[in-house]
Amino acid sequence: MTTLEIIEKLKEIILPYIKNKDAFDNLTQSTDFINDLQINSANLVDVILDIEEVFKIDIDNDSMEKMLDVGAAISIIETKLAQKS
Amino acid sequence: MIGNDIVDLQLSRIESNWRRKNYIEKIFTAKEQIFIQNSIDSESAVWNLWTRKEAAYKVYVQETKITGYFPFKIECIVENEIDGTVTINDKLYHTQTFSSTDFIYTIAVKNLTDFENISHLDSRNNIIKKDGIPQLYNVNTKKKYAASVTNHGRFQKIATCNIAINVVDI
Repeated sequence: MTTLEIIEKLKEIILPYIKNKDAFDNLTQSTDFINDLQINSANLVDVILDIEEVFKIDIDNDSMEKMLDVGAAISIIETKLAQKS
Repeated sequence: MIGNDIVDLQLSRIESNWRRKNYIEKIFTAKEQIFIQNSIDSESAVWNLWTRKEAAYKVYVQETKITGYFPFKIECIVENEIDGTVTINDKLYHTQTFSSTDFIYTIAVKNLTDFENISHLDSRNNIIKKDGIPQLYNVNTKKKYAASVTNHGRFQKIATCNIAINVVDI
């Protein structure tokens, strides 16, 4: 899966939880889930569970801890996918 | 230092499906999961613990400047429905939780005596942000006070500690 494909899937996952559409439309690697997209912190776990389901990977606690922005999420997904194959 | 967090129970029922598979396991410690299982009202137990974690995390960030998504490292010790402590790594905070049928609200502080000096404001007018952390600024005395703001659904709470942090040099 290419980085672009990962980003597209990630955008589908986070869309239901975002409260700031402008930040979503101008998404970059440094876009912060809570501060920029205004995802409720109790919904960030939903994002993580959705990522696990869609990409069929396990997000361990160490990875979850870093899951604060788009760039971190992409890099964690890429690492976990690489470990699988 | 002060942190607060509120959950609007009407909105959380729409926004969050905490009964979802693995949800509880991802964010609560083993002891907290037992507490939730043993509670008569598990919904209220979930958000009671969650607001304690969030409020304590806000104080932790102020104290250590460490940010991250690690709810599983934040452990609530529930003394009773209102009082408790929360540990995050080697730090300990005190919490007070207030609940109704509409909301659950927690305030966290570093020192237990700080609870005596907390008041709530109706407006954010004099709330400024320094390094992302809210402070109440008194224009007349030029004094700054620790503050924390939380909003969810129908509710907003602005908590401040009435002891000045320091005098601003202006």
